[in-house]
Amino acid sequence: MTQNLLEVTGLVKRFGGLVAVKDISLSVAPGEILGLIGPNGSGKSTVMKCIMGIVRPNAGSVRIGGVEVAGWPTHRIARQGVGIVFQHSHPLPRQTVLEHIEIALLPDSLLKLAADRHVAERARAIAARVGLDKVMHRLPRTLPFADLRRLELAKAIARNPEVVLVDEPFAGLTSGEVADFSALIASFRAEGHAVLLVDHNVKSVAALVDRVFAMYLGERIAAGSAAQVMSDPKVRQVYLGGGIEVAARPAKAAEGAAPLLSVDKLSVSYGKAQALEDVSLHVAPSEFVSVVGLNGAGKTTLFNAICQLVPSTGTVRFGGAALGGRTAAQVARGGLVQCPESRELFGDMSVRENLDLGGQHLSPAECARQLDWLFELFPILRERQGQAARTLSGGEQQMLAIARALMMQPKLLILDEPTLGLAPVILEQLSKALERLRLTTDITVLLGEQNVTFALPHADRVYVLEHARIVWEGSPARFAAEAGAAYL
Amino acid sequence: MLALQILVDGFAVSALYGVGAVGFTLIFGVSGVLNLSHGAIMVVAAVTAWATAGGLGFGRYGGAAAGVVAGFVLSFATYLLVVRPIQGSKAIPREEKEIFVLTGTLLWGIMIQEAIAYCFSNTPKTVLPLAPGVMNILGVRTPVNEVLTAVVSWVAIGLLWLLVNRTRGGKALLAASMNPRGLTLLGFEMTSIHRKVWAIYGVLAGIAGVLLGAFLGVSSDNIGTLTASAFSIVVLGGLGSIWGSLLAAYVVGYLETLTAYLVAPSVRTVPVLLLLVLVVYLRPQGLLGRR
Amino acid sequence: MLKSRNFWLAIIALIVLYLLPLGVSGYVLGLLTVAYYYAVAAMAWDLLFGFAGEVNFGPSFLVGLGAYTAAMLNHYAGTPIWLCLIAGAAAAVVGGVVLAVPALRLRGPYFGLVTLVAVLLLQNMIVLFSGLTGGEIGLDIPEVLSIDDHTNYWYALGFMTISGGLLWGLSKSSAGLILQASGQDATEAAALGFNVAKHKLAAFCISALFSGLAGGMLVFYLGTVSVGTVVDIAIGVQFIIAAVLGGRRTILGAAIGSIFLIVAGEILRPLGELSTFVVSAVALLVILFFPGGFLGALRPRGQG
Repeated sequence: MTQNLLEVTGLVKRFGGLVAVKDISLSVAPGEILGLIGPNGSGKSTVMKCIMGIVRPNAGSVRIGGVEVAGWPTHRIARQGVGIVFQHSHPLPRQTVLEHIEIALLPDSLLKLAADRHVAERARAIAARVGLDKVMHRLPRTLPFADLRRLELAKAIARNPEVVLVDEPFAGLTSGEVADFSALIASFRAEGHAVLLVDHNVKSVAALVDRVFAMYLGERIAAGSAAQVMSDPKVRQVYLGGGIEVAARPAKAAEGAAPLLSVDKLSVSYGKAQALEDVSLHVAPSEFVSVVGLNGAGKTTLFNAICQLVPSTGTVRFGGAALGGRTAAQVARGGLVQCPESRELFGDMSVRENLDLGGQHLSPAECARQLDWLFELFPILRERQGQAARTLSGGEQQMLAIARALMMQPKLLILDEPTLGLAPVILEQLSKALERLRLTTDITVLLGEQNVTFALPHADRVYVLEHARIVWEGSPARFAAEAGAAYL
Repeated sequence: MLALQILVDGFAVSALYGVGAVGFTLIFGVSGVLNLSHGAIMVVAAVTAWATAGGLGFGRYGGAAAGVVAGFVLSFATYLLVVRPIQGSKAIPREEKEIFVLTGTLLWGIMIQEAIAYCFSNTPKTVLPLAPGVMNILGVRTPVNEVLTAVVSWVAIGLLWLLVNRTRGGKALLAASMNPRGLTLLGFEMTSIHRKVWAIYGVLAGIAGVLLGAFLGVSSDNIGTLTASAFSIVVLGGLGSIWGSLLAAYVVGYLETLTAYLVAPSVRTVPVLLLLVLVVYLRPQGLLGRR
Repeated sequence: MLKSRNFWLAIIALIVLYLLPLGVSGYVLGLLTVAYYYAVAAMAWDLLFGFAGEVNFGPSFLVGLGAYTAAMLNHYAGTPIWLCLIAGAAAAVVGGVVLAVPALRLRGPYFGLVTLVAVLLLQNMIVLFSGLTGGEIGLDIPEVLSIDDHTNYWYALGFMTISGGLLWGLSKSSAGLILQASGQDATEAAALGFNVAKHKLAAFCISALFSGLAGGMLVFYLGTVSVGTVVDIAIGVQFIIAAVLGGRRTILGAAIGSIFLIVAGEILRPLGELSTFVVSAVALLVILFFPGGFLGALRPRGQG
């Protein structure tokens, strides 16, 4: 049996009272690629940071080529033979691509004033290997996004590390670039490196990895081949939320009515990374539309672009009027209200104060009426009125965030990942509240969810967002047959 | 007797420091700006009060009012001419905005300092006290003006408290210091929130300046020290925490008064500086800060 | 290439400065002498800010330590000037280490405050031990570098040329590149195997060394040391403004900025007290409209 190059056993990391990583053990052999997957907040990134020494584990062991490195500072772990490809790069503004690679090759010395001659040659060779040879002498900010990622890759492998960690290898890349990167990463494997890919979901790394290790809420939920993990019931529970059910419902939306919201060819890029590409969708008055997609597919970007929180190209029309040029606050006052994934509550204010702020644009009488209605919808909030928002449980905070958005009396409510990090029993309460909302009002809802089980029962129509694009549109009834299998 | 004297004097000084620092921390909390022209704004308010009350014959109350107005106007000018252009500039990278705002407000402060020195010379000026005379508090002979300083300071702080806790618009300001993004999502324009905060800050800095001018006197040479002391109080209390700043103002005020009476007036700031270094090392989030 | 262009500009500028004593009065030379010492302190500050990524609000803490150590040794012990300068530089390096410790632990405004407090504490200590330090009035120094304007000018210009050359060369060296990478993103630099703490500590020491030397040289030129000339926050602010004005992250820009500030102040002297006002206003306008500073504005579009 060959010795594992990377061996993690019993890893534990706590942040204050929160246990981010619970007793994780994994290993990667020479010439092997392991995919470490989990949704946002699953602890996968923390595991990676513990391996690299960026955060110090509370317990457990990390061995690199048999040497215990847990608790070492990052630079010593790096020199022990670990390279990392970060998701975001912060290149120096005045150094060329080649100079960046050269820096990665320099010895850690204060007295080294000029680089050895072989450094430049090595740097050229590495640049050629990752496909940067044509842009070697350019400044990083003149490069396209994919080349910046190549540069990160080049820096990580400059010292020929035995273990290579890659954070979200394919985020923001086009399919052609994904193929190039896959080939590059596969070539590390061929040379006998141990590679750990960290990503949101199995799908994006399935073709490349030898094994997959899935995490959720800090714990291991499955491990094995990509196919095994994808069909694992626990994994399906986490990503899809179990079986897919569709409730029959009366169609509330009038067919053929003018859409309340119409989005046409919306594109967003963060720096050079394309986060949303030519997305078009529409929502009719009183319709409940779900946009499902895995973490990182672009749901939050889509909603932020609709609400004018991030700059975008394309058009967004709400109630017939184009939203371009309006401020985010104007959009919200106009009745297009978002309840974001991050909730954005006022932590040190009471539940009541949070709700009152939502109702500031209403007259006091109207505000009181709205408050009464919301307390009926979410009775727990009535009990918690005087409590600081910060001290609420996750589920209560989510209800408060939704209630606060509803205080604005939105014509269209955008709900972004309301189920994120919530326990199943809370999901059920939330689901019931949404159902009541749907049946008792004529509110229009645009829901973004990873959890298909949660998203489908309420929906009149479903869009599937994958890799910054809409890949499927249809009724919830058709989802299981047409899009369900390919979703994970 | 000495203890009572320290108690009374410390209270007035601390209240004054509190008014000065609260506005400073409010701006930091809401917009992340550390305004290094703070001292200059205070001194302009004081000098305006001094000049208008005496030279222009506004009288003591008219002068004080003119001083507060001057603080308000100058604060707005700082925001519009220095802070906003830097925040909106595309040529300055995001991560360097902070150092640019610091350098920009610093330069602005120096400009104001030089303008005051040019127009009114840098000799110390004492604003006409709001009320003359001496009264007896717990057996300590105290100038009425000192009592008034504490009272006006606390009234100003009290009004601020009422504003942010009891009015609809004020609540939004408090919310902005906790989570500006959340506020945008609820349909509040951050630019208008910023304008309001700078307006409130200007009034508070104006009041603090006028009171300081009447209580201890000011000179354009004090500007650096005034800014540094507000900065210290705010960090000590926890950046962005209004009530932390008030607490810190009292810690600093009493520590300085104690040192001045028991050791020597010349070293009054030394224990404060040492305490500050200690706090920054052991509890970088400040006394009441949370992070 | 920017690199070589700045280099040639610097060479031409230096030639002009070296020829200057042929044509200008001793008064102007005296002004420039002070400007050159300030320039060294400003360049040392830029090494910390532009390369190590540490915003030090108290450069005058380091300058002041060097100045007072050198001055007091000479005043009380009659130590030869060169030894005083070495001792001053050593004291400043110790001060640099003291500042580096919080810098490696604290972020943003907190570190800024510590550096500010360091200046205020030094200032208070000098006033507190006025029997030893001369307090507010300052201390006379028995020896000076020279009483001749020209000789003093040569000392200062030589000192600036050598210091600037060393600092600039260092910033372009391998160690300088690692420092720059550490300042840009410490985590990423550590993941490349660099001991970020070591490199930043070294940067603090080097910055302190040159600041301390500049402080020492300055007092042996002025023949006196006082809070107002080497410790006051306003002095430190002048270094910072000079570096930002000239173009941060260039080292050479800091020297240009320093000379500009002093020369501009002099040209505007007829305005009397308003001259500082105008200089500050110009600096503010440069920061608002040309955030890259003088050297940044020189750079062709699409390069900076």
